[in-house]
Amino acid sequence: MFKLTLVTPEKRLVVDQEIDEVTAPAFKGELNILPGHAPLITTLETGVLSYKLKGQPEQRVAISWGYCQVNPLGVNILAEYAAVSADLQIEELKKAIAEGERKLGVESLDEEQWTETQRDVAKARTGMEIFPGTKS
Amino acid sequence: MASLKDIRARIESTKNTQQITKAMKLVSAAKLRKAQNNITNMRPYALTLRKVIADIAVTKKVTHPLMEQKAEVRKVLLVVITSDRGLAGAFNSNINKFAEAYYKENAGKLESIEFLFIGRKGADYFVKKGYKAIDAITRLDKDISYDLASHVADRLMKQYLSGEYDEIRVIYNEFKSAIAQEVVCETILPIDIQKTSFESTGPAPGFSVDMIFEPAPEQIIAQLLVKHFDLQVYRAMSESIAAEHGARMTAMENATNNAKEMINSYTLTYNKLRQEKITTELTEIVSGAEALK
Repeated sequence: MFKLTLVTPEKRLVVDQEIDEVTAPAFKGELNILPGHAPLITTLETGVLSYKLKGQPEQRVAISWGYCQVNPLGVNILAEYAAVSADLQIEELKKAIAEGERKLGVESLDEEQWTETQRDVAKARTGMEIFPGTKS
Repeated sequence: MASLKDIRARIESTKNTQQITKAMKLVSAAKLRKAQNNITNMRPYALTLRKVIADIAVTKKVTHPLMEQKAEVRKVLLVVITSDRGLAGAFNSNINKFAEAYYKENAGKLESIEFLFIGRKGADYFVKKGYKAIDAITRLDKDISYDLASHVADRLMKQYLSGEYDEIRVIYNEFKSAIAQEVVCETILPIDIQKTSFESTGPAPGFSVDMIFEPAPEQIIAQLLVKHFDLQVYRAMSESIAAEHGARMTAMENATNNAKEMINSYTLTYNKLRQEKITTELTEIVSGAEALK
Protein backbone atom coordinates (compact mmCIF):
# COMPACT_ATOMS: atom_id res chain seq x y z
CA MET A 1 0.00 0.00 0.00
CA PHE A 2 1.48 3.26 -1.08
CA LYS A 3 -0.79 6.23 -0.67
CA LEU A 4 -0.87 9.78 -1.94
CA THR A 5 -2.28 12.82 -0.17
CA LEU A 6 -2.31 16.07 -2.11
CA VAL A 7 -3.74 19.14 -0.40
CA THR A 8 -3.65 22.94 -0.74
CA PRO A 9 -4.91 25.50 1.76
CA GLU A 10 -8.06 25.91 -0.28
CA LYS A 11 -8.92 22.39 -1.36
CA ARG A 12 -8.21 18.72 -1.02
CA LEU A 13 -7.37 17.03 -4.29
CA VAL A 14 -6.38 13.56 -3.20
CA VAL A 15 -6.66 12.09 0.26
CA ASP A 16 -5.12 8.72 1.07
CA GLN A 17 -5.54 7.10 -2.32
CA GLU A 18 -3.42 4.24 -3.45
CA ILE A 19 -1.06 5.08 -6.28
CA ASP A 20 1.33 3.52 -8.74
CA GLU A 21 3.55 6.48 -9.42
CA VAL A 22 4.11 10.17 -8.74
CA THR A 23 6.28 12.59 -10.66
CA ALA A 24 6.95 15.92 -8.98
CA PRO A 25 8.91 19.07 -9.87
CA ALA A 26 11.31 18.87 -6.94
CA PHE A 27 13.97 21.25 -5.74
CA LYS A 28 16.72 19.43 -7.58
CA GLY A 29 14.75 18.62 -10.69
CA GLU A 30 12.09 16.17 -11.71
CA LEU A 31 11.51 13.55 -9.07
CA ASN A 32 9.88 10.24 -9.81
CA ILE A 33 8.50 8.36 -6.83
CA LEU A 34 7.54 4.71 -6.98
CA PRO A 35 6.29 2.62 -4.08
CA GLY A 36 9.16 1.82 -1.74
CA HIS A 37 11.08 5.04 -2.34
CA ALA A 38 13.55 6.00 0.38
CA PRO A 39 12.22 8.43 3.02
CA LEU A 40 12.67 11.93 1.71
CA ILE A 41 11.69 15.49 2.41
CA THR A 42 11.96 18.06 -0.32
CA THR A 43 10.44 21.28 -1.49
CA LEU A 44 8.68 21.53 -4.84
CA GLU A 45 9.03 24.23 -7.45
CA THR A 46 6.40 25.59 -9.78
CA GLY A 47 5.69 22.93 -12.34
CA VAL A 48 3.58 20.00 -13.35
CA LEU A 49 2.89 17.24 -10.90
CA SER A 50 1.57 14.01 -12.32
CA TYR A 51 0.34 10.93 -10.58
CA LYS A 52 -1.30 7.64 -11.41
CA LEU A 53 -3.93 6.36 -9.05
CA LYS A 54 -3.98 2.59 -8.99
CA GLY A 55 -5.37 1.28 -12.25
CA GLN A 56 -6.22 4.74 -13.58
CA PRO A 57 -4.71 6.97 -16.26
CA GLU A 58 -2.23 9.68 -15.42
CA GLN A 59 -3.49 12.93 -13.88
CA ARG A 60 -1.68 16.19 -14.39
CA VAL A 61 -1.84 19.07 -11.91
CA ALA A 62 -0.16 22.46 -12.12
CA ILE A 63 1.32 23.45 -8.78
CA SER A 64 3.34 26.32 -7.45
CA TRP A 65 5.49 26.08 -4.37
CA GLY A 66 4.97 22.87 -2.50
CA TYR A 67 6.42 20.47 -0.07
CA CYS A 68 6.73 16.75 -0.47
CA GLN A 69 7.36 14.09 2.11
CA VAL A 70 7.94 10.46 1.23
CA ASN A 71 7.72 7.87 3.95
CA PRO A 72 7.27 4.10 3.83
CA LEU A 73 3.51 4.51 3.88
CA GLY A 74 3.14 6.94 1.05
CA VAL A 75 3.60 10.45 -0.23
CA ASN A 76 2.31 13.64 1.38
CA ILE A 77 2.26 16.69 -0.81
CA LEU A 78 1.35 20.17 0.33
CA ALA A 79 1.05 22.61 -2.52
CA GLU A 80 0.39 26.29 -2.14
CA TYR A 81 -1.61 26.33 -5.33
CA ALA A 82 -2.87 23.49 -7.48
CA ALA A 83 -5.03 23.49 -10.57
CA VAL A 84 -6.34 20.76 -12.82
CA SER A 85 -7.25 21.42 -16.43
CA ALA A 86 -10.92 21.92 -15.53
CA ASP A 87 -9.95 24.95 -13.39
CA LEU A 88 -8.12 26.70 -16.20
CA GLN A 89 -8.82 28.22 -19.57
CA ILE A 90 -6.18 28.32 -22.25
CA GLU A 91 -7.18 31.74 -23.52
CA GLU A 92 -6.88 33.31 -20.10
CA LEU A 93 -3.55 31.71 -19.48
CA LYS A 94 -2.23 33.01 -22.80
CA LYS A 95 -3.42 36.44 -21.90
CA ALA A 96 -1.78 36.22 -18.47
CA ILE A 97 1.53 35.17 -20.02
CA ALA A 98 1.45 37.92 -22.62
CA GLU A 99 0.55 40.53 -20.05
CA GLY A 100 3.23 39.35 -17.67
CA GLU A 101 5.91 39.35 -20.32
CA ARG A 102 4.95 42.79 -21.47
CA LYS A 103 5.27 44.04 -17.92
CA LEU A 104 8.65 42.42 -17.45
CA GLY A 105 9.91 43.90 -20.68
CA VAL A 106 8.49 47.40 -20.59
CA GLU A 107 7.58 48.68 -17.18
CA SER A 108 10.08 49.55 -14.54
CA LEU A 109 9.25 47.30 -11.64
CA ASP A 110 10.83 47.18 -8.25
CA GLU A 111 12.40 43.93 -7.20
CA GLU A 112 9.36 42.62 -5.42
CA GLN A 113 6.96 43.30 -8.27
CA TRP A 114 9.39 41.78 -10.68
CA THR A 115 9.63 38.54 -8.74
CA GLU A 116 5.91 38.44 -8.39
CA THR A 117 5.23 39.00 -12.07
CA GLN A 118 7.73 36.37 -12.97
CA ARG A 119 6.09 33.94 -10.63
CA ASP A 120 2.72 34.67 -12.21
CA VAL A 121 4.11 34.02 -15.67
CA ALA A 122 5.67 30.76 -14.54
CA LYS A 123 2.39 29.75 -12.96
CA ALA A 124 0.45 30.45 -16.15
CA ARG A 125 3.02 28.60 -18.25
CA THR A 126 2.71 25.58 -16.03
CA GLY A 127 -1.02 25.85 -16.39
CA MET A 128 -0.61 25.59 -20.17
CA GLU A 129 1.45 22.46 -19.84
CA ILE A 130 -1.21 20.34 -18.24
CA PHE A 131 -3.48 20.49 -21.24
CA PRO A 132 -3.44 17.43 -23.47
CA GLY A 133 -1.21 17.82 -26.47
CA THR A 134 1.10 20.31 -24.78
CA LYS A 135 3.08 17.79 -22.78
CA SER A 136 6.60 18.95 -22.26
CA MET B 1 -55.10 56.66 18.53
CA ALA B 2 -53.78 55.43 15.24
CA SER B 3 -56.33 54.91 12.55
CA LEU B 4 -56.96 51.57 10.85
CA LYS B 5 -55.14 52.74 7.80
CA ASP B 6 -52.03 53.71 9.81
CA ILE B 7 -51.88 50.33 11.45
CA ARG B 8 -52.30 48.55 8.15
CA ALA B 9 -49.40 50.52 6.74
CA ARG B 10 -47.27 49.64 9.73
CA ILE B 11 -48.03 45.96 9.36
CA GLU B 12 -47.09 46.12 5.70
CA SER B 13 -43.76 47.79 6.35
CA THR B 14 -42.91 45.36 9.15
CA LYS B 15 -43.68 42.53 6.77
CA ASN B 16 -41.26 43.99 4.26
CA THR B 17 -38.58 44.24 6.89
CA GLN B 18 -39.25 40.67 7.87
CA GLN B 19 -38.80 39.53 4.31
CA ILE B 20 -35.49 41.30 4.06
CA THR B 21 -34.16 39.85 7.29
CA LYS B 22 -35.34 36.43 6.25
CA ALA B 23 -33.52 36.72 2.93
CA MET B 24 -30.38 37.95 4.66
CA LYS B 25 -30.52 35.00 6.98
CA LEU B 26 -30.69 32.58 4.08
CA VAL B 27 -27.82 34.29 2.31
CA SER B 28 -25.70 34.14 5.46
CA ALA B 29 -26.54 30.49 5.92
CA ALA B 30 -25.31 29.72 2.42
CA LYS B 31 -22.15 31.76 2.90
CA LEU B 32 -21.58 30.15 6.26
CA ARG B 33 -21.62 26.73 4.69
CA LYS B 34 -19.03 27.83 2.19
CA ALA B 35 -16.85 29.36 4.87
CA GLN B 36 -17.09 26.23 6.96
CA ASN B 37 -16.03 24.16 3.99
CA ASN B 38 -13.03 26.42 3.60
CA ILE B 39 -11.99 25.75 7.15
CA THR B 40 -12.38 22.01 6.85
CA ASN B 41 -10.47 21.97 3.58
CA MET B 42 -7.61 23.82 5.16
CA ARG B 43 -7.30 21.55 8.15
CA PRO B 44 -5.32 18.65 6.64
CA TYR B 45 -2.87 21.11 5.11
CA ALA B 46 -2.44 22.96 8.37
CA LEU B 47 -2.03 19.85 10.48
CA THR B 48 0.51 18.23 8.19
CA LEU B 49 2.51 21.40 7.86
CA ARG B 50 2.65 21.94 11.59
CA LYS B 51 3.63 18.39 12.29
CA VAL B 52 6.41 18.42 9.76
CA ILE B 53 7.88 21.62 11.13
CA ALA B 54 7.77 20.25 14.64
CA ASP B 55 9.30 16.95 13.55
CA ILE B 56 12.16 18.59 11.74
CA ALA B 57 12.72 21.23 14.37
CA VAL B 58 12.92 18.68 17.15
CA THR B 59 14.86 15.90 15.47
CA LYS B 60 17.28 18.19 13.70
CA LYS B 61 17.45 20.84 16.42
CA VAL B 62 16.90 23.59 13.94
CA THR B 63 15.98 27.10 14.97
CA HIS B 64 14.92 30.09 12.96
CA PRO B 65 14.51 33.81 13.71
CA LEU B 66 10.75 33.47 13.35
CA MET B 67 10.69 30.95 16.16
CA GLU B 68 12.87 32.73 18.68
CA GLN B 69 11.21 34.48 21.57
CA LYS B 70 12.54 37.97 22.16
CA ALA B 71 14.11 38.52 25.55
CA GLU B 72 11.99 41.59 26.14
CA VAL B 73 8.78 42.51 24.40
CA ARG B 74 8.44 46.24 23.98
CA LYS B 75 6.78 46.89 20.66
CA VAL B 76 3.60 45.06 19.82
CA LEU B 77 1.48 45.07 16.71
CA LEU B 78 -2.17 44.20 17.07
CA VAL B 79 -3.91 42.82 14.03
CA VAL B 80 -7.63 43.34 14.53
CA ILE B 81 -9.91 41.37 12.26
CA THR B 82 -13.50 42.54 11.91
CA SER B 83 -16.04 42.44 9.12
CA ASP B 84 -16.75 45.03 6.46
CA ARG B 85 -20.45 45.10 7.05
CA GLY B 86 -22.65 45.45 10.05
CA LEU B 87 -25.94 43.82 10.97
CA ALA B 88 -24.17 40.94 12.57
CA GLY B 89 -25.17 41.38 16.18
CA ALA B 90 -22.35 41.95 18.61
CA PHE B 91 -19.78 40.47 16.23
CA ASN B 92 -17.79 43.64 15.62
CA SER B 93 -18.38 45.44 18.86
CA ASN B 94 -17.06 42.47 20.83
CA ILE B 95 -13.81 42.64 18.92
CA ASN B 96 -13.52 46.40 19.19
CA LYS B 97 -14.18 46.39 22.91
CA PHE B 98 -11.70 43.62 23.47
CA ALA B 99 -9.00 45.33 21.45
CA GLU B 100 -9.56 48.62 23.19
CA ALA B 101 -9.46 47.01 26.62
CA TYR B 102 -6.27 45.22 25.66
CA TYR B 103 -4.74 48.46 24.53
CA LYS B 104 -5.66 50.30 27.72
CA GLU B 105 -4.39 47.49 29.89
CA ASN B 106 -1.04 47.19 28.18
CA ALA B 107 -0.31 50.66 26.88
CA GLY B 108 1.52 51.58 30.06
CA LYS B 109 3.71 48.50 30.14
CA LEU B 110 4.89 48.55 26.58
CA GLU B 111 6.84 51.04 24.58
CA SER B 112 4.33 51.05 21.78
CA ILE B 113 1.25 49.27 20.56
CA GLU B 114 0.27 49.72 16.95
CA PHE B 115 -2.77 48.60 15.05
CA LEU B 116 -3.38 46.96 11.74
CA PHE B 117 -7.01 46.60 10.81
CA ILE B 118 -8.51 44.01 8.58
CA GLY B 119 -12.13 44.85 7.93
CA ARG B 120 -13.82 48.22 7.80
CA LYS B 121 -15.80 48.09 11.02
CA GLY B 122 -12.75 47.90 13.25
CA ALA B 123 -10.89 50.57 11.31
CA ASP B 124 -13.83 52.99 11.49
CA TYR B 125 -14.34 52.46 15.19
CA PHE B 126 -10.75 53.13 16.15
CA VAL B 127 -10.21 55.99 13.76
CA LYS B 128 -13.23 57.71 15.25
CA LYS B 129 -11.72 57.29 18.70
CA GLY B 130 -8.47 58.80 17.51
CA TYR B 131 -6.25 55.72 17.43
CA LYS B 132 -3.72 55.59 14.64
CA ALA B 133 -3.39 52.56 12.45
CA ILE B 134 -0.40 51.60 10.35
CA ASP B 135 -2.83 50.40 7.75
CA ALA B 136 -6.35 49.21 7.22
CA ILE B 137 -7.21 46.48 4.80
CA THR B 138 -10.85 46.83 3.93
CA ARG B 139 -13.15 45.91 1.09
CA LEU B 140 -13.12 42.26 1.84
CA ASP B 141 -16.54 42.06 0.25
CA LYS B 142 -15.46 39.21 -1.92
CA ASP B 143 -14.40 36.18 -0.01
CA ILE B 144 -10.88 36.34 1.27
CA SER B 145 -8.34 34.30 -0.61
CA TYR B 146 -5.14 32.62 0.32
CA ASP B 147 -3.37 35.13 -1.92
CA LEU B 148 -4.57 38.08 0.12
CA ALA B 149 -3.65 36.36 3.36
CA SER B 150 -0.15 35.60 2.18
CA HIS B 151 0.36 39.20 1.11
CA VAL B 152 -0.60 40.40 4.56
CA ALA B 153 1.53 37.70 6.14
CA ASP B 154 4.54 38.63 4.00
CA ARG B 155 4.34 42.18 5.10
CA LEU B 156 3.96 41.35 8.78
CA MET B 157 6.89 39.00 8.58
CA LYS B 158 9.13 41.61 7.01
CA GLN B 159 8.27 44.14 9.66
CA TYR B 160 8.84 41.61 12.38
CA LEU B 161 12.19 40.49 11.03
CA SER B 162 13.39 44.05 10.59
CA GLY B 163 12.73 44.57 14.30
CA GLU B 164 9.86 47.01 14.03
CA TYR B 165 7.88 44.79 16.37
CA ASP B 166 8.81 42.29 19.02
CA GLU B 167 5.53 40.53 18.97
CA ILE B 168 2.54 40.38 16.65
CA ARG B 169 -0.84 39.46 18.02
CA VAL B 170 -4.05 38.90 16.21
CA ILE B 171 -7.52 39.50 17.65
CA TYR B 172 -10.41 37.85 15.86
CA ASN B 173 -13.66 35.99 16.33
CA GLU B 174 -13.13 32.28 16.40
CA PHE B 175 -15.84 30.20 14.87
CA LYS B 176 -17.19 27.82 17.50
CA SER B 177 -20.48 26.87 15.95
CA ALA B 178 -23.12 28.51 13.81
CA ILE B 179 -24.49 30.30 16.86
CA ALA B 180 -21.38 30.83 18.96
CA GLN B 181 -18.28 32.93 18.37
CA GLU B 182 -15.47 33.61 20.73
CA VAL B 183 -13.08 36.53 20.75
CA VAL B 184 -9.53 35.23 20.85
CA CYS B 185 -6.19 36.95 21.05
CA GLU B 186 -3.27 34.91 19.76
CA THR B 187 0.40 35.57 19.39
CA ILE B 188 1.26 34.71 15.79
CA LEU B 189 4.84 35.93 15.81
CA PRO B 190 7.16 34.61 17.10
CA ILE B 191 5.85 31.21 16.14
CA ASP B 192 5.60 28.90 19.09
CA ILE B 193 5.80 25.57 17.36
CA GLN B 194 6.05 23.60 20.60
CA LYS B 195 2.76 24.91 21.79
CA THR B 196 0.92 24.50 18.54
CA SER B 197 2.15 21.08 17.53
CA PHE B 198 2.36 18.50 20.24
CA GLU B 199 -1.20 18.65 21.37
CA SER B 200 -1.79 15.79 18.97
CA THR B 201 0.36 12.72 18.62
CA GLY B 202 4.15 12.66 18.52
CA PRO B 203 6.18 12.44 15.33
CA ALA B 204 4.32 11.44 12.20
CA PRO B 205 4.30 7.75 11.38
CA GLY B 206 7.21 6.73 9.29
CA PHE B 207 9.24 9.74 10.26
CA SER B 208 12.84 8.81 10.71
CA VAL B 209 16.03 10.62 11.39
CA ASP B 210 17.62 9.10 8.31
CA MET B 211 15.44 11.09 5.97
CA ILE B 212 16.97 12.57 2.89
CA PHE B 213 16.61 16.33 2.94
CA GLU B 214 16.59 18.32 -0.26
CA PRO B 215 17.57 21.12 0.33
CA ALA B 216 19.10 21.13 3.82
CA PRO B 217 16.77 20.97 6.85
CA GLU B 218 17.48 24.59 7.76
CA GLN B 219 16.31 25.80 4.37
CA ILE B 220 13.26 23.59 4.39
CA ILE B 221 12.31 24.82 7.83
CA ALA B 222 12.73 28.42 6.73
CA GLN B 223 10.36 27.87 3.80
CA LEU B 224 7.88 25.87 5.77
CA LEU B 225 7.74 28.44 8.56
CA VAL B 226 6.87 31.13 6.08
CA LYS B 227 4.04 28.97 4.74
CA HIS B 228 2.96 28.13 8.23
CA PHE B 229 2.72 31.77 9.07
CA ASP B 230 0.79 32.55 5.87
CA LEU B 231 -1.58 29.83 6.83
CA GLN B 232 -2.05 31.16 10.35
CA VAL B 233 -3.09 34.49 8.94
CA TYR B 234 -5.36 32.80 6.43
CA ARG B 235 -6.86 30.67 9.15
CA ALA B 236 -7.59 33.64 11.40
CA MET B 237 -9.29 35.39 8.48
CA SER B 238 -11.31 32.34 7.52
CA GLU B 239 -12.43 31.78 11.09
CA SER B 240 -13.48 35.38 11.28
CA ILE B 241 -15.46 35.12 8.05
CA ALA B 242 -17.25 31.98 9.18
CA ALA B 243 -17.96 33.55 12.55
CA GLU B 244 -19.28 36.68 10.84
CA HIS B 245 -21.78 34.75 8.77
CA GLY B 246 -22.76 32.73 11.80
CA ALA B 247 -23.31 35.86 13.83
CA ARG B 248 -25.28 37.52 11.04
CA MET B 249 -27.41 34.45 10.63
CA THR B 250 -28.32 34.47 14.31
CA ALA B 251 -28.91 38.22 14.33
CA MET B 252 -31.18 38.00 11.30
CA GLU B 253 -33.05 35.06 12.76
CA ASN B 254 -33.76 37.13 15.86
CA ALA B 255 -34.78 40.10 13.76
CA THR B 256 -37.18 37.93 11.80
CA ASN B 257 -38.72 36.61 15.00
CA ASN B 258 -39.06 40.10 16.43
CA ALA B 259 -40.75 41.25 13.26
CA LYS B 260 -43.15 38.35 13.52
CA GLU B 261 -44.02 39.27 17.09
CA MET B 262 -44.56 42.86 16.09
CA ILE B 263 -46.82 41.86 13.24
CA ASN B 264 -48.84 39.70 15.61
CA SER B 265 -49.36 42.46 18.11
CA TYR B 266 -50.25 44.97 15.39
CA THR B 267 -52.68 42.55 13.87
CA LEU B 268 -54.34 42.12 17.25
CA THR B 269 -54.70 45.87 17.69
CA TYR B 270 -55.94 46.14 14.12
CA ASN B 271 -58.62 43.52 14.61
CA LYS B 272 -59.73 45.02 17.91
CA LEU B 273 -60.08 48.44 16.34
CA ARG B 274 -61.96 47.00 13.39
CA GLN B 275 -64.40 45.18 15.64
CA GLU B 276 -64.94 48.25 17.74
CA LYS B 277 -65.71 50.18 14.62
CA ILE B 278 -68.20 47.58 13.40
CA THR B 279 -69.88 47.48 16.79
CA THR B 280 -70.21 51.25 16.81
CA GLU B 281 -71.64 51.24 13.30
CA LEU B 282 -74.10 48.46 14.16
CA THR B 283 -75.25 50.29 17.25
CA GLU B 284 -75.81 53.39 15.15
CA ILE B 285 -77.80 51.52 12.52
CA VAL B 286 -79.88 49.72 15.13
CA SER B 287 -80.62 52.87 17.10
CA GLY B 288 -81.39 54.71 13.84
CA ALA B 289 -83.90 52.02 12.90
CA GLU B 290 -85.40 52.11 16.40
CA ALA B 291 -85.88 55.85 16.13
CA LEU B 292 -87.82 55.47 12.88
CA LYS B 293 -90.42 53.16 14.43
